[in-house]
This record gives sequence, structure tokens and C-alpha cells, in this order.
Amino acid sequence: MASMQEIRQRINSVKDTMKITNAMYLISSSKLRKARSGRDATAPYFDTLQATINDILVRTPELSEEGLFENRDQKNKIKRCFIVVSSDKGLAGAYNHNVFKLVDEKIADADENVDPVNTIILVGHMGLTYFKGREDVEIDEEHIYPCTDPKMFRAREIAENVIERFTADEFDEIYVVYTKMINSMYFEPKIMRILPLTRGMFEDAPELDQDLKEPVFSPSPEEVLQHIVPNYVKGLIFGAIVESFACEQSARMTAMDNATTNAKDMIDELSLIYNRVRQAAITQEITEIVSGAQSTN
Amino acid sequence: MSTFKLEIVATDKIFFSGDAEFVTLPALDGEMGIMPEHDTMVVAVKAGELRYTVNGTVNDCAVGDGFAEILGDRVTVICDFAEHDFDIDVMRAESAKERAEERIKAKRSQIEYVHSQAALARAMARLKVTSKMKQNR
Repeated sequence: MASMQEIRQRINSVKDTMKITNAMYLISSSKLRKARSGRDATAPYFDTLQATINDILVRTPELSEEGLFENRDQKNKIKRCFIVVSSDKGLAGAYNHNVFKLVDEKIADADENVDPVNTIILVGHMGLTYFKGREDVEIDEEHIYPCTDPKMFRAREIAENVIERFTADEFDEIYVVYTKMINSMYFEPKIMRILPLTRGMFEDAPELDQDLKEPVFSPSPEEVLQHIVPNYVKGLIFGAIVESFACEQSARMTAMDNATTNAKDMIDELSLIYNRVRQAAITQEITEIVSGAQSTN
Repeated sequence: MSTFKLEIVATDKIFFSGDAEFVTLPALDGEMGIMPEHDTMVVAVKAGELRYTVNGTVNDCAVGDGFAEILGDRVTVICDFAEHDFDIDVMRAESAKERAEERIKAKRSQIEYVHSQAALARAMARLKVTSKMKQNR
């Protein structure tokens, strides 16, 4: 059995760790409040944007413009780009890992006949350690974006970056991988294709009940799409980052709460052992004294 | 008077949702008025002034880049920001305008130029709406 001193040291070290996890729990719960209100404010925009774009796509069957809309010809090489929204810091339970796992699944499920090239654009630094050094993916290390405090201008930066490379034929497909908040306790990693735009790409979009009348584009389809597509890509990326950020805070809060509870349990258990060892030592000492006194008599 | 359902959604809030009689959008090629029973249409919206009429009162607001979908009895405007004339911080818009103008003068890279131009358009949209509000007083 371990000595008293050893157990005491152990208890102290667990206590120190608990202080940290408890502080992180408090910090993330206050950050979560802010992130949640930001997320709730952006959610209608995110949903309406998807629904409206879906609506436009369903109504206009023969849309094709500048390579932003049309599906590229199936070549034997497909260049895919993943915008992976993870976190800047760890200690958030399985939050980051769930996102990365989904990316892995998507990478693995490519068509056998085509040779995929996968590029990853990271939002949040945690992805770097996970994807670095792998042969099947390429990380765009020049553009690693922070994910804390989501701002519109950052989404604009990312959108401009991917659209430019999409038009330059560097990418054939662009996906965004993020975490969606289902309710305050439950989130789900999601993958969403941003470009090229095709019908039925938004699985969550509501059914249309109105007659499918083709809309008139003002001033002209080309100009409208030229204007809408960057706006839509930016909006979608922004929404995804805001959503993920709220999930990250929530995941960290739960993880840190669990860690603190575990630390408490551990301290309880260790205190019990400590007391037992102490009691044993005392008993032994008394026995020694008693037997010593008896022998002198 | 006949109305249609108008929804103006900005990135940070649902700016307006309800019945309106008339709305004027800042389209790419100039202002565009929409009344009930309009043809199905998709319009690109640029930063500028948007006016909507509810119960005969005209509401003035500034909107950012975006687009609008018109579907018979429903008009959805999706834009970067939307602010009422009385909510706009004139000082902030003024200084944003000055900053953007200065950056345009400095004219660094092409991308920066486009950014500055967009920032200028946003500031101008806000200021235009507020200056009109002052005149009306």
C-alpha cells in the first residue's frame, strides 16, 4: 500500500487539476451564453439563405453560369476542398474528433474510378495536428483561420479564397464540415456542399408547396448569380462557423463539468484510502507501544 | 389595401417580418418597387436604401449586399445588414466612410480595393438613409 505522503501528494495534484477544469468550466459557460445568443441571432439568416437558394435552384432547372453552378465534367481526377471548422483549443471532449472523423469518412468514400485530390482549409488550429503529415490530404497551411469570435469579414475572406480557386479550376467541389446544434445538449457534425450548386443539395430545406414557376432574374441571370453566389458562400461559411463555435463552447462546458466531477470522485476515493492508511499507522503505533510497555513489565 | 408577406433577414437578426403594401429595393441597376401580385423574380440587392410601407407609413432603412426572392405573396430579402434610419450611428458611419475613402486613395492590391469599395458602399448606404431622416424633421 502506498505511503501516506504519496497519497497526500496524489490528492493535491488531483485538486490542482480540478481547479483548472473548474475554472475552464466557468469560463466556457459564460462564453457559451454569448455564443448561443450569437448563434440564435444568425440561425434565421442561415436557414432562410439555404431555403431561398434551394428554392431558386428547384425553380430554375437549367442554371449554369461561369462554372460556379454547373457540375464539372466527370474527369478521372476530382479536386475536392473541405473547409473544416474545428476549434483552436482542445479539452472539448469529442467535439473536434467527431468533425475529423466525418471528414475521414467523406475522403474514404470517393469513387474508385476517380483519383481524388483533397485539400483542407482549416478554421480552428486543432485540425493541423490531426491532418498534418497525412498522404491522402493536403493542408492549405497558408490559410489557417481562427474560429474564436466569428466575424463576418473572416467569412468573407474564406469565401473569396475558395471562390477564386474554384473559378481557377483548382477545386471541383467545395464542402464545409461543421457541427450543428440540434439542441443545447446534442450536436451533430455535418457536411454540406457549397459549390457547385445543384438541385437537392440541401437535404434539410423545406418542401415547396407553391407551383414551380420559373423566376425572372433582374437585371440578368448572369449578373444576379455573379452577385448572389459570393454572398451565399460567405453567408453559409459564416453560419457554419457561428454554429460550430456555439457547439464548441457547449462541448467544452460538458467535458470540463465531467472532468470536475471525476476529480471530486477521485479525491473522495483517495481520502478514504488515506484515512485507512493513517488509521493503520496509528493502530500499529499503539500496538507497538503497548507491546513495548508489556515487555518491560 | 392588398398586402404581401415581407421578410427582411439580416445576418444578425430577422429585421422585419410581416405584411407590407409596398417595398423599394436597391437593385443593381437602380431602385425597384414591388407591389403585391408581383411576378416571380430573383433580384440582386446592393448596399443602399430600402423602403417598405406598412399601413400607409413608409419605413426607411439601410441594407447591405444581398438578394431578394419574390414569390407572388411572399418577398424574402436576405442581406448582410439591415438598420432603421433612427438606429444608425452616424458618427460611426462617417468615420467608416472616411477610412474607406482613404484606403481607396492609397489603392494597394486589387482585393483590398474591392474590400474598401464595399466598405464605402455600406457606409454610404447608412449615411444616405440618415441624411434623409434629418431633412424630414
